[in-house]
Amino acid sequence: MPRLVIDDLQIEVPEGTKVIEAAERLGIMIPRFCYHKALGSAGACRMCAVKFIHGPFKGLQMSCMIDAQDGMVVSTTDEEAVAFRRQVIEWLMMNHPHDCPVCDEGGQCLLQDETVSGGHGLRRYPGRKRTYHDQYLGEFIAHEMNRCIHCYRCSRFYQDFAGYRDLGPMQIANRVYFGRFRDGPLESPFAGNLVDICPTGVYTDRSSRYKARRWDLQRVPFLCIHCSLGCSTVASARYREVVRIEARFNESVNGHFICDRGRFAYPYANLADRPRRARVDGEDASLAEAVRAASGRLDQISMNAGPDAVALVASDRCSLETLAVLKRISREKGWRHPAVFPRPDLEHKTRRAVSRLDRRLAVSMRELESADFILAVGIDPVHEAPMLALALRQAFREDAGIVVMDPRPVSAPFDFDHVAIAPAEIGGCLSRITEALSALQADSAAQGKETRRPEAAGPLRADLDSRIAGIVERLRGSRNPVIVCGTDIVRDSTPDRAADLARLLLQLKARPCLFFVLPGPNSFGAVLLAESPGRSFSDVVQDIEQGKVKALLVVESDPFKNFPDRERLERALDRLDLLAAMDYLPTSVVGRAHIVLPTCTVFECGGSFINQEGRVQRVEPVHEGGIPVHQVSGGGHPPRVFSHEVPGGEIEAAWRTALEVAGYTNARDNLSILKIMAEEHPGFARCRDIPTSRSFRVLPDAGDRPPVCEETGDRAAPEAADTLEVVLVDRFFGTEELSGYSPVIQNADSEPLVFLHVRDAEPLGIAHSDWISIALEGGGLEVRAGVSAQMAEGVLVIPRHRLLEWQKLGPVPAQIPFGRISRAGKE
Amino acid sequence: MKEQLDQIFSRHHGTRDALIPVLQDIQAEYGYLPPEAMEAAARFCRVAPVEVYGVSTFYAQFKFSPVGRNLVMVCQGTACHVMGGARVLEEVQSRLGIRPGQTTADGRFTLETVACIGACALAPAMVVNKDTFGRVKPEKIMEMLNGSGS
Repeated sequence: MPRLVIDDLQIEVPEGTKVIEAAERLGIMIPRFCYHKALGSAGACRMCAVKFIHGPFKGLQMSCMIDAQDGMVVSTTDEEAVAFRRQVIEWLMMNHPHDCPVCDEGGQCLLQDETVSGGHGLRRYPGRKRTYHDQYLGEFIAHEMNRCIHCYRCSRFYQDFAGYRDLGPMQIANRVYFGRFRDGPLESPFAGNLVDICPTGVYTDRSSRYKARRWDLQRVPFLCIHCSLGCSTVASARYREVVRIEARFNESVNGHFICDRGRFAYPYANLADRPRRARVDGEDASLAEAVRAASGRLDQISMNAGPDAVALVASDRCSLETLAVLKRISREKGWRHPAVFPRPDLEHKTRRAVSRLDRRLAVSMRELESADFILAVGIDPVHEAPMLALALRQAFREDAGIVVMDPRPVSAPFDFDHVAIAPAEIGGCLSRITEALSALQADSAAQGKETRRPEAAGPLRADLDSRIAGIVERLRGSRNPVIVCGTDIVRDSTPDRAADLARLLLQLKARPCLFFVLPGPNSFGAVLLAESPGRSFSDVVQDIEQGKVKALLVVESDPFKNFPDRERLERALDRLDLLAAMDYLPTSVVGRAHIVLPTCTVFECGGSFINQEGRVQRVEPVHEGGIPVHQVSGGGHPPRVFSHEVPGGEIEAAWRTALEVAGYTNARDNLSILKIMAEEHPGFARCRDIPTSRSFRVLPDAGDRPPVCEETGDRAAPEAADTLEVVLVDRFFGTEELSGYSPVIQNADSEPLVFLHVRDAEPLGIAHSDWISIALEGGGLEVRAGVSAQMAEGVLVIPRHRLLEWQKLGPVPAQIPFGRISRAGKE
Repeated sequence: MKEQLDQIFSRHHGTRDALIPVLQDIQAEYGYLPPEAMEAAARFCRVAPVEVYGVSTFYAQFKFSPVGRNLVMVCQGTACHVMGGARVLEEVQSRLGIRPGQTTADGRFTLETVACIGACALAPAMVVNKDTFGRVKPEKIMEMLNGSGS
């Protein structure tokens, strides 16, 4: 390890560390623009010049371009280096428009900082400045090229790091321009990161434009809850309104970046039609009155029809606190345990995935980046877990092989082999791979036996055999393989089969190798707290229909979004004696509830969530809650109406209100909630000892215990040749609940397409982007078709899109006969 | 346009390394690079349109707007500068009413400056299409332009 001296301080750094990085470890921030930890060196800006006094290099050199070596003596404060840097910043500022007062970057601008630190104060150049035309880059990002200093960070992130090609460098010399060929929305779902990495104000966040200076914001280290990965963010609020989300570096989860869904979903917390007042039978009430009414009526129903007639419904966007409290009160009151998952299969698969994950198997997203072979099954990374796609891209850049086994027309910013097979075939393929691999490893077969169980490998197509053999070979030949498994579209037993393969790989390679993607931000927590076997919402509906359930308390959940049969759900809810809803979103359930108890978003009350690898992450609130000032004042400032209370400030976290509804009036402080969590699951006891800035994993150590497998009857593949299997899927925008309420995302979202294979579409006379109609007993659906050759045959891929009333399909059938799909006349 | 482009593409392999020859052929055909042709070239060479524009704007040889029927290049190299090249340029500018890089409204002349044409002994020099003029006197300029230009 090279040892060098920087500014009279000695430091030893790993081989290959740049001098600029070594200095940073000593706390010396050498000025820089083009250098970025995630993007590496470019040597473009000349700002990080330092003086090398002794060693293999002499004189002025760029500290980002030179690896630290033994015996180097470096000065960052040498007169020559300082003078050089002063000149560099002066010429970088030559064409800069000095429009800081109207620039959103002002106050958090690296260019401002380095101008001051570089010692450039007075402008000497009197000539004309170079100017550019700006482009329209979509709803998320504003473009102001005049501010550019040509550090190339944006194009290096956009093209090299993230793998998208529609934004890049053009022109030459001092006319260099970063933009698109024509105006138009950026294609990358990670484009929002340009705002963070641009050292000046070329790319700024349109959604938060002109709202605040950084120093005016309440900024809190935060957590993204828009998929199961749990990326780290910084949330900013002003005047009781969340105004900006930025990426936060997290070594083990997301690295430096986040996706656009995570960045631009936040306006759901600022909606004007958010439930802010409690309601009882359609009349506004104070929160205390509504809580009393709910409490009284629930007790009444418990007394008359038995406590079993009261059911709780939650969702995987509830915090761990809420889920723990619901579990506690349902047990103590005798109410039904909260149903978190909308469908029984989702609950089952998540539970299987969570129960198979242990400390030795689980891979974090950052570890995934160093894998050399990745087999991803039943997952469309960009749409289901966007940052996973970026992690896979980093593995791909280091020459990892990637195989995606999925029926959808998967597209991703890296090269991969797509094995396009129907969901029913995925499990069989995994079993075959496991069998072949363990048979090949004759030596380790003896140990391998105990974890293997008899697999009923279904009949597979002949052309798959060679591809499976290829995957087995690549798994064998790789040093650090990883299995990524989705839980949405796969069959019930697939997570188990993926885990079987991962266990075998663990024995062979002695490295963690299993990465699950779960349905929602707190699915992991929900199954940890669930009774076993858990109930899903469809069981609850059945019990309502049979008259067993008379009252429903729906907590931060919208069954209308996920329940496949809308009419049946409406009929069931109408039968209830009491429908009480606690939520912060203006959902359909809130609209029809007898009692509405508004709750706080996670921005206002914080909370804990467990991501898909079992990492418990806790965040503090960003602001204290209440109706945003500009909504109270009707857009004017300052507000003209004053009161002692914060308008809308009586709303509390869901767990607090739930405790009150259940009659616990004095266990509502933060200490008690940690106690309740620890009592409900021993794994959460550490929450009490660990500060919110740190995360920990709740995973069992026990690697050697044989996994408990549950045999489940998988739904069979459609047998009739004249049907298509329906696969309901998530999309990057439009299917996730919270971001669906964000106006900026609604504007940027594109029309949903229903995909089918070109060979299935041809006989029906359907071409790409034709309107088709799908006729079913429950109703019809008109939608644009996508036709692709890069997907499995025999499936119909339907996004659960906000704009697509897929719930109208009625009870979603496993398969749709060809005869029900036709070209619609609509143009 | 599609037919002409297809003909150009038929002479090349549709790969990234064929991009510059393809662009040169497009320019030979149209005299400049129309945006639609650049997009077609991007599809043909399997690169992003932004990369095509990036490559073509990197080199001085490519033009992005139609050029006039006659190309006027006024040398601004060291020798010509010393011998009054700036005055020649001024005169051409005022006579044609355009600045370097622009084309007259009637599409007759495009004016450009060059750093040196290698005729330093004849400074100040000027090139109209394929004719090179040496020891240019500002008052003779109109004659030269009319004589050589079509």
